[in-house]
Order: sequence, then structure tokens, then C-alpha cells
Amino acid sequence: MIPAPGDGWSRLSPRKLLLDPVKAIGQAIVPVVVALVGISQSGGRFGWVILPVAVLGPLLFGALPWLTTHYRLTDTQIQVRRGVLNKNTSTAPLDRVRSVDLEASLLHRILGLQKVEIGTGVDDDRITLDALAAADAHALRTTLLRRREAPEATPGTDADEVDGPVPVPVAAPAELARIDWSWLRFAPFSLARLVLLAGAVGVLSQFGDDLPIWNEETARSTWDWVMQFALVAVIAVLAVGGLAVWLVVSVTGYVVQWWRFLLVREHGSLHLTSGLFTTRSITVEEAKVRGVEMTEPLLMRVVGGAELSTLATGVEDGVTQVLPPCPRDVAIGVGETVLEHRGPLTDPLVEHGPLARRRAWLRQIRESLVVIAAGAVATWWFDLSWWWVGLGGLALLLVSAAVGEASYRHLGHALAGDHLVAGSGLVARVRTALETDGIIGWVVSQSWWQRRIGLADLVATTAAGHERVLVRDVRLEVAVELADAATPGLLTEFLAETA
Amino acid sequence: MNHVLREPAHRVSPQAVPYWRLSAAVGDVVLVVAAVVAYAVIPDVPGWTLVLVLLVAAAAVAHVVLMPRIRFRVHRWEVTDTAVHTRSGWIGRETRIAPISRVQTVDSRQGALMRLFGLASITVTTASAAGPITVDCLDAETAREVVARLTAITAAAPEQDDAT
Repeated sequence: MIPAPGDGWSRLSPRKLLLDPVKAIGQAIVPVVVALVGISQSGGRFGWVILPVAVLGPLLFGALPWLTTHYRLTDTQIQVRRGVLNKNTSTAPLDRVRSVDLEASLLHRILGLQKVEIGTGVDDDRITLDALAAADAHALRTTLLRRREAPEATPGTDADEVDGPVPVPVAAPAELARIDWSWLRFAPFSLARLVLLAGAVGVLSQFGDDLPIWNEETARSTWDWVMQFALVAVIAVLAVGGLAVWLVVSVTGYVVQWWRFLLVREHGSLHLTSGLFTTRSITVEEAKVRGVEMTEPLLMRVVGGAELSTLATGVEDGVTQVLPPCPRDVAIGVGETVLEHRGPLTDPLVEHGPLARRRAWLRQIRESLVVIAAGAVATWWFDLSWWWVGLGGLALLLVSAAVGEASYRHLGHALAGDHLVAGSGLVARVRTALETDGIIGWVVSQSWWQRRIGLADLVATTAAGHERVLVRDVRLEVAVELADAATPGLLTEFLAETA
Repeated sequence: MNHVLREPAHRVSPQAVPYWRLSAAVGDVVLVVAAVVAYAVIPDVPGWTLVLVLLVAAAAVAHVVLMPRIRFRVHRWEVTDTAVHTRSGWIGRETRIAPISRVQTVDSRQGALMRLFGLASITVTTASAAGPITVDCLDAETAREVVARLTAITAAAPEQDDAT
């Protein structure tokens, strides 16, 4: 049971006494084993002293947080007190609670525990309760979120009734999206996980140096062997193997992350749950959602996939991915439901014109010219073949021209209803829609080059999401008109007419 | 009928010019001296590096002479009852506007060098990390007045919606 308002302090779940020592031992096991091995090799007389310390230490340290952490609900606040010598009390007014997120690692779930994180609208300042019994965590979440909208709460439903692992909501939660396993087809086209894979390969290659197969002789005989067979065949096999590994990794990752994914709207919040081993339950108050961002990475676009994030204030990083890689139509549908407007994600954008296209091209080509110049210097220095510089340079220029053109095509802006829409992205197509109410200032900047051709970068500053929405390379007077239309009145006294 | 943003009403303090010149000179002198010393100390440098050093020196002189003048022409500011509006830059231009109703904090800052010239800067922040507006180099008296006025306006504003 969670404490009723006015009750005294409660502790976290006693099962935390199992959780933390296991975690502590997990963290301490390597140094302890190393120490034990070291000691046993250097005489071994102290082994019988070290062993109990090594086992009891983590147990004691693991028990400390449970002994020293208390929380309570008052009529207006939730308070968490922790610490032994330095008492530290965090307080959050209940009407300031913006989000209540639950998370459970595999260990948490075995023990029936949940970690609760309470966001209060101030970035980086979240109250964490690790861990409560799962039922308590759900009850606390329901209580906190319902209390926030207490005035509208239907009479007759009491927080006390909510006791089971599944909260009984006031209004039936409206389902916005649920996992559809046909979406698995997008998993291999989402490259975000490739970074993790590259990291793992990097770690493995560290060990690879120690393996006996990599001495010079085997390397040379392997090389001869490779050259005997067609090099092409070997490369093909490697490529197919890599693809197969990638398929397995990406699909597994997708399943693990988005298992039982469900996005619902309840208590005026968006509520996302998912996860196979570690379950996440994320809540974002809808009043704090100021916009959405739809991203279509290059490969995903080929197969018609997209991702969707909400831009909110008072959430840790402001950008919360609310959909797995899924069909574009699903992302648009959910996005429109969240925005409560049709249009921002589908309306055509106003193009920025040939000058903006020239800048998009030049920006990319300039960067590749720098790389080519560096390559030329290296070639001259090491006296290599100029063929490579020519070929590589040509390829690089073609790629950068393509990227430049793509980045121009993604560029655009619109004012759809009361949303400012900006298109951006180099190879990924990104569309950001921000409620004009969420705009708290404008920045118009012009570099020297932009000034010569009458273009400007317009930035709408906001407290939500990335804190800014950029409309790049738009004609200056269009930028001013757009800003004036998006926030009527703000610019009026600073406007002047041009001839 | 096209609209553009007119420039904000007020210039910054004329004392800003010598201040910018001095602070630019300090940085540039360090750079040029480092280049000259490197040229003198490193043995057997090819002749064309002297041209490079001279170019750096010329650029530094141009920077010290021209930058403060251009900057003084560009930098402008205005605080109305509803908004803060600034323009800054010297090669590029940056115009910032924020509604006073969304202002969260008003800071003023005076570095040691700025005090020498009787200058102060004001920074106005909103709930957005991308939105702070700085008015550089007002004379200290004006800065005090502006801070007092901004504080009064924001304090008088009713229960404000700062869009968080």
C-alpha cells in the first residue's frame, strides 16, 4: 500500500533489500575476485579475513539506501527524504507533477519491483523512488496523475480502490497505437542500433589482438589464400555474413525494446509502455506537449517507415520517442492525434527557393573540398598515386551534391493552423511541428553570405524539445512575415515597410 | 507589401568602441607574438611562412581597427513594455526578440575591463535554453535603469505563462 495523504513516512519496498545487494555484488564481483586471486597468490594468509568483508560489504552497503530512504504524501506535496549524515529532502508540489515514469529491469521484475521517476516541470530535477512494489508503483502513478486533474475527477472513484497491478483509470484510456509485428520489417532499416553494434565489434577486436590467429605468418598465409580464391567472392561472403548478423541484431533489438508496446491517452497524459526484459512506462502530460517531430531516416524512407517523437517541456531531455519505427501513415495518424490537428505533418511546405538550394549544395561541396584538399596534401606528402585523389574526390563530390540536393528538398516551412512547421535534415527527412503558443522568442541570424543574397536563418525559441526550431535559409522578409504570423502582436511594433 | 524588422531604437554606449578595441587587441597581440616567436625560434622554416606571419599580423590590425567601429554601428537594443529587441554582430547579423511576459531572469554583468570603461551587459533569459538575449556594453547607469525597469515590469506581470 502507498501511504494515504497525511500518513507518516514510508519506506521503499523491503524487497529492495534483495535488489541492492545483488546489484552491489554484481558491481563488486570483479574487483573482489581480482583481490582474492591476488591475495591467494601472495601467501593466502589473509584470505579468510577478506572473504567475509568482500561478501558482507556489498550486503551492508546495499541495505543502506533502504534504511535511509523514506517518502510520504501530504495533501499538497510528495516528499522524499534520504541520507544518513547529510539529510536530503526532495519535495514536489502535487500540482506540479508533470510526468510519472516507471521502469523495471529484469532484476526488478523478478522481485516484483518498479522504479518510479517523478518529473516536476523543472528540467533535470526528478524525484526517483527505486524501488516500490509494482502494485504500489502503479497506484502511486495513478494517484499522482489523477490528483493533478483532481477538479475534473469523477466522484465515486477513489484512489483507494486502485490496488491491483493494473490501475483502474477514471476515463477509459484511449489507445493510440499498439505494436504490430509486421512493423518488424522496418527494424533492419533503422540504423541507430548500428552504432551499438560497431561499439561491440570494437570491443571484440580488442580481444582479437590476443588471439593466436593474428600473428604475421597466419596473416600472410591467409592473404595468399584469399588471393588464390577470387577476392570478390571473399568480399561477397563477408558482406552477406555482415548483413545476416545485422538482420539478427536489429530484429532482436527491436523485439527487446518494443515488446508489448502500447501508447494510450489517459488522465490527460500520453502513456507509453514497452520492453521485453526491462519494462518502461513513460507518462507525458499532454498539456506540456508543445509539438511533435517526425523523422524519416534515408533507408526507412525507402520502405515507407518513420519515427515519431513528442516535444514536451519539463521532461528530462524534452524529446520522447513515442513510436517504434513504423509505417509513415501510423506515425502521421498518431502525430495528428497528439497535436489534435490535421495538417502539420502532411501539408506541403513552402519551398525556400533557388538561392537556398545553392547554399545547400555549396555547404556540402565546401566540406568535401576541405576533405579533398587534405587528401591531396597527404598524397603529395607520402608520394602516393594521384589516381586515388581523383577518383575519391570525384566520388565525394557526387555524394555531397546528392546530399546537398536532398537537404534542400527537406527544407521548408509552413504555418498550419496554430503550428509552426519546419522541414530539415540532411539525409533523413525531419519535420518539426511546434505549437505557436510554445514559442517564447525569435532569433533572426544572417551570416555575411546570407546577407548578400537576402536569406536568413529563423529560430523559434521554446522551452520544449530541443529548445529551438530552426527554419534555415529562408528569405528575410518571408522569415519576418512567418514570425509575425506565428506570434501575432509580438513583432508589430518592430516592423517597418520596405519599398 | 513586404515587412522587415526595423532596427532597435538605441545604440550601445560609445565607450564600447575602446572597450572592444582593447579586448580585441589583447587577444590579437598574444596571437601575433606567438606567431612571430614560432617563426623566430623554429629553425629552417621555409621562406613563405614569413608571408603567413605577416598576413596574420595584418588581419589582427584590421580586426582591431575595423571590428569595434562596425560593431558599434550594428549593435542596437530596445526594451518596450511588451518585448526586448536586440541586434548584434559585425560580420553577420543576429536579431533577437523575446516577449517580456516570458522573461524569467534579468542578470547584469560587469567584467573588470568593462568596469574600466564604465560599461555593463544585461542578459535576459526565458524558459528556452536557446533564447537568452544579451545587451552588450551599455553604460553602467543605463544598465541599472534597464534592469530596474525590466524587474518592475516582470514583477507586475500577472501570473505568467512562461510556456514551461
